[in-house]
Amino acid sequence: MKLAIAAIEILSPGLKRFTLAGAELPWAGPGSHLVLQIPGPARVWKNAYSLTAAPNGAYRIIVRRVGHSRGGSAWLHDHASLGDVLEVEAPQNFFNPPRSAKRHLLLSAGIGITPFLAYLQIPGLAYELHHCCKPEEADAFQALLPPGANAVLHTSRDAFNLHELMAKQKLDTHLSVCGPDSFMNIAVTAAKSLGWPMAKIHLESFGGATGGKPFSVRLERSGIAVDVGPEESLLDALEAAGLTPSCLCRGGACGECRMGVLSGTPEHHDHYLSDAEKASGKFMMICVSRAVTPELVLDF
Amino acid sequence: MSKSRPPYVPFKLDPTGTMHLVVTSLAAIPSELDDALTEVELWTVAHAGPGIPAPAAEHLHPFRSPTELLAQLESRLGRAAIGLRLYAIGSEAFIWDAANIAVAAGLGRGEIFTYQAGPKLRRVYCTHCRTMIEDVAVNVVPCPACKASLFVRDHFSRRLAAFMGVRVDAEVPGEIPAPEEFTT
Repeated sequence: MKLAIAAIEILSPGLKRFTLAGAELPWAGPGSHLVLQIPGPARVWKNAYSLTAAPNGAYRIIVRRVGHSRGGSAWLHDHASLGDVLEVEAPQNFFNPPRSAKRHLLLSAGIGITPFLAYLQIPGLAYELHHCCKPEEADAFQALLPPGANAVLHTSRDAFNLHELMAKQKLDTHLSVCGPDSFMNIAVTAAKSLGWPMAKIHLESFGGATGGKPFSVRLERSGIAVDVGPEESLLDALEAAGLTPSCLCRGGACGECRMGVLSGTPEHHDHYLSDAEKASGKFMMICVSRAVTPELVLDF
Repeated sequence: MSKSRPPYVPFKLDPTGTMHLVVTSLAAIPSELDDALTEVELWTVAHAGPGIPAPAAEHLHPFRSPTELLAQLESRLGRAAIGLRLYAIGSEAFIWDAANIAVAAGLGRGEIFTYQAGPKLRRVYCTHCRTMIEDVAVNVVPCPACKASLFVRDHFSRRLAAFMGVRVDAEVPGEIPAPEEFTT
């Protein structure tokens, strides 16, 4: 669908909020994200952004300007202007608030707060939000929180005792984490060591792991070879080559883009495959995962 | 095992848990499990003599009846912090009563473990008048409330923690087969 940029707000030097408007927008619940098609000099970027709100007739997202941008965020920050029309895929939700939870412990870092801004609008939700951010962005994030929010901003790692916070939670609480991979790994490792069952740990990742060492892939059934550059994902590279592998979340969460690996060793960055599947090296999620070996042969 | 019965796996403590609470409707843990159960909080049903049984040790709590034990379980779980694993050992009625209390307290997959042990007695639900009949040893039993002779189907409801009892002589009134003892 085509949506027009109806508002642009500067929240901080690195954060902008966009309001996208259109007629008869599909309903999008808390935790949903949008995939935007963003024009670039050589190709179109597809980036996923969590919805912070979905009022009638509009979707709201917050975009961070990434230093080593894959392309999308830089264009949105530097070139997008009011009235621009973007091609947007219908919202998907892989980060619904868990229904069996009576209480929610929400942990976010940086731009990872965005899905939780939507959670906080759920009437009567029993939650406790802990958000980690740089001191210079604390005011911007504080301003995004609704009045009376049960939220704590942490601007220093030393002052935030994550272990203690997780250890004292009750049995009816679920943990939801959103942020960069390094943050999520710390949180998941701490939770597991404290006996949190995986069924009560919910993760949403985005973007962070799409760049890395360049490598090449050979597609066995398609009979073509594609090079993956340091600042694009394998999925990006296949799309740039004119292929249309199925995918939804572009963040390693949904499982839609799972591809068989016939030879070579994948480097996993997703949160979908089980540890055993990752260790087997027989499958990979092409939206976020890369290669250890210089070449991969894929079943596609 | 039919699909109408819950599956059970061999008993073991879950190493990812940080606190283990074992509740049983029996007087003691079945001997085949003894080795697995070190450093756990153990609740048993062991009443010998008058009065309220005293805790035998800090981590051993005897109760007078399964009912009394289950009545305490909810508040115990309500005070507990994440990391607790609950193990219910005993009759199917007891272990699913315990599991249902645990689910209401917020425990879920990976936190509740059940193990069937002890006498093969069943709780039977009369599907005609909704009466629960406890400790049934044979597969044909009269309902004490509506007087129907019930055939105990091999169909267990986890929600009710009971087996389904349906009228055995619906086709030919009075034709009641000889009861057989349960072996599973």
